[in-house]
Amino acid sequence: MAALRDQLVRFIAALRADGVRISVAESIDAMNAVAAVGLERARMHEALAAALIKDEADRAIFDESFNRFFAAPRANRGEHPDQRGEQVSAASGRGRPGEQPSPRDAALASPRDEKSLSLPSEAKPAKKAAAARRQDTEKGKDAEQGKDAERLSDRMRGRQERGEAQTREESPTPGIDATRVARIRAIERTAFDKFSDLDYDEARDALAPLIRRFRIRLGRRLRLARTGRLDFRRTIRAALQRGGALIDLNFRARRPRHVDLVILADISGSVRYAAQLMLELMAGARGCFRRVSSFVYVDHLAEADFEDGHLVMTPALDLYARSDFGRVLGELWERRTGLLTRGAIVVIMGDGRNNRLPARADLVREIVRACRAVVWLNPEDPARWGTGDSAIKQYAREVNAIVPSRNLRELQVALAAIA
Amino acid sequence: MLTREQISDGLKRARYVTNERVETAIFLALALEKPLLIEGPAGAGKTEVAKVLAEMLHTELIRLQCYEGLDEARALYEWNYQKQLLRMQAGEQQGLRWEDLSEHIFSRDYLLERPLLKAITAPSRVVLLIDEIDKADEEFEAFLLELLSDFQISVPELGTLKAHERPVVILTSNRARELSEALRRRCLHLFIDFPGIEQERKIIELKVPELDAKLAAEAARFVSAIRKLGLRKPPSIAETLDWARALVRLRVRELDTDAVRTALGVLLKHEEDRVKVESKASALAPRRR
Repeated sequence: MAALRDQLVRFIAALRADGVRISVAESIDAMNAVAAVGLERARMHEALAAALIKDEADRAIFDESFNRFFAAPRANRGEHPDQRGEQVSAASGRGRPGEQPSPRDAALASPRDEKSLSLPSEAKPAKKAAAARRQDTEKGKDAEQGKDAERLSDRMRGRQERGEAQTREESPTPGIDATRVARIRAIERTAFDKFSDLDYDEARDALAPLIRRFRIRLGRRLRLARTGRLDFRRTIRAALQRGGALIDLNFRARRPRHVDLVILADISGSVRYAAQLMLELMAGARGCFRRVSSFVYVDHLAEADFEDGHLVMTPALDLYARSDFGRVLGELWERRTGLLTRGAIVVIMGDGRNNRLPARADLVREIVRACRAVVWLNPEDPARWGTGDSAIKQYAREVNAIVPSRNLRELQVALAAIA
Repeated sequence: MLTREQISDGLKRARYVTNERVETAIFLALALEKPLLIEGPAGAGKTEVAKVLAEMLHTELIRLQCYEGLDEARALYEWNYQKQLLRMQAGEQQGLRWEDLSEHIFSRDYLLERPLLKAITAPSRVVLLIDEIDKADEEFEAFLLELLSDFQISVPELGTLKAHERPVVILTSNRARELSEALRRRCLHLFIDFPGIEQERKIIELKVPELDAKLAAEAARFVSAIRKLGLRKPPSIAETLDWARALVRLRVRELDTDAVRTALGVLLKHEEDRVKVESKASALAPRRR
């Protein structure tokens, strides 16, 4: 029993090393689950899965590890399968793992020891392999400290491929949902500056459910206090009909918030993926605001719109021009009437790399004064802010908030916080 | 306490076609007294598990359908405000003091029990189905945590109510949003995907016995094939069964291209899906003219 417990602990450790999040409570559940179902391999497999794997995207990793750790007993080790199952369940049915085996259990277990403790003993070479692999990852950790996000995304991608291979082998109908979810999760965590065109396409595909989720999230905030403050006048009026008893309470309906959103996104080479994804995300949530005006810029300002999922800008911008945010701010300031009002929130997306042209942080100050808030989303790693031609530090002094948004996930959190 | 085999039998008797994975998960949920979180595409039979389970255990099924904006008052309990007021007015006329009155109006008689409280206070073990938990708000999910880990509920005026018999809790989710790690940690997890061809054939044969066995197999293969086309809404099991019944009514003998076309509306609920499948019908239909 103890051997099995140790083996399970190692198994869980290996899963954790592979990036599956397992809490202590869940590992205890796993032990209890095995105690409840017995050691029959297929059942133990499903029992452990139910207790440990809470996300179908992790299932492929789990299956792989399980096969490595608890190798199938070689078809016939000279014992009848039924008989073996009986022995095992008789022993495991009693007590929880960790208790001292009763004399009867011990008696039952002793003849079993040499021949049928196949589970832990067979897994030994696998254990070594796992240990070696863990060492590898440990070594890799130091080397790749900086490439954290990349490694994560690679692993996710690997995981997903593995997942696809696995499902193709095992079941006639592949788990469409699970692999899709895994892909969304992976792309959500991929840093924008590591994006390739392929990644961008994938992110676009993943965007539809994200937009939906995002819209729900925003909508909920606005609807939250449906039964908010008591409406005294209406309550008293209703009470009059009932002889003055306050039987029916009437609540004040929540007034819709009037938020105008002004989005300003840099679509020059360095941050274009982030900007386009943000614009699309916000376009999906348009209904939650009174008015949304989107602009894109490189060296000039242009109005942005989405038609059939394609970015349309008027006038067209030269994408390869040198970005000049100072001039863009000037152009925005000229159009301020009706745009930059007390109810407006300005969201600027860009890395603030201005090619050493005038930053015009003073204009940002003016805009902050005119509007409700100015929030800057920076897709660049905070460690690189203010280096080279980055003028972000100057802008950072003026705006209300500056938020790093290096990947889709951070972007969503930032945008939801703004709204 | 049911054994693993009894569960298997029970599910069969309740006419629920299943596999090792589902049976083990249900068994564990009962054996470890833990909530079971079931995820999977819409129409794969998640809610059905709870119904079948209640039938199997010969007990009541209490269902809480989650939606956006669901709050404690709807899920847990609410004071019967109107009744309390009437009681107060009546008490005033009898000349009761406030102390006597307040004790009275905050008792169980004036409590409107909602599904969660009902499940906790039920005298015997019930099955509590919390359906589509992903549609509820995050706040509500957090509120559920106390219930799911300790099976107790705090009502400020009454104190903490603890379940006599822990209910069997089934949660289902369609992944409209990600559930929190805290919730996942407290539950056992089961993913139910659309059934394989063989399993779906069994389901059709079990539920629509009038359909010719050969045709049932072909229907199962066809449905499984169109689910892989990446439709806007792939047909659920219930729709497959409706379709099978439609085939019986239409007296279809062979599943050829025409037969597929006539009853497609039962299976597909979006125009673009229908167009897509029709364009490929000749390739998909098991038998060509």
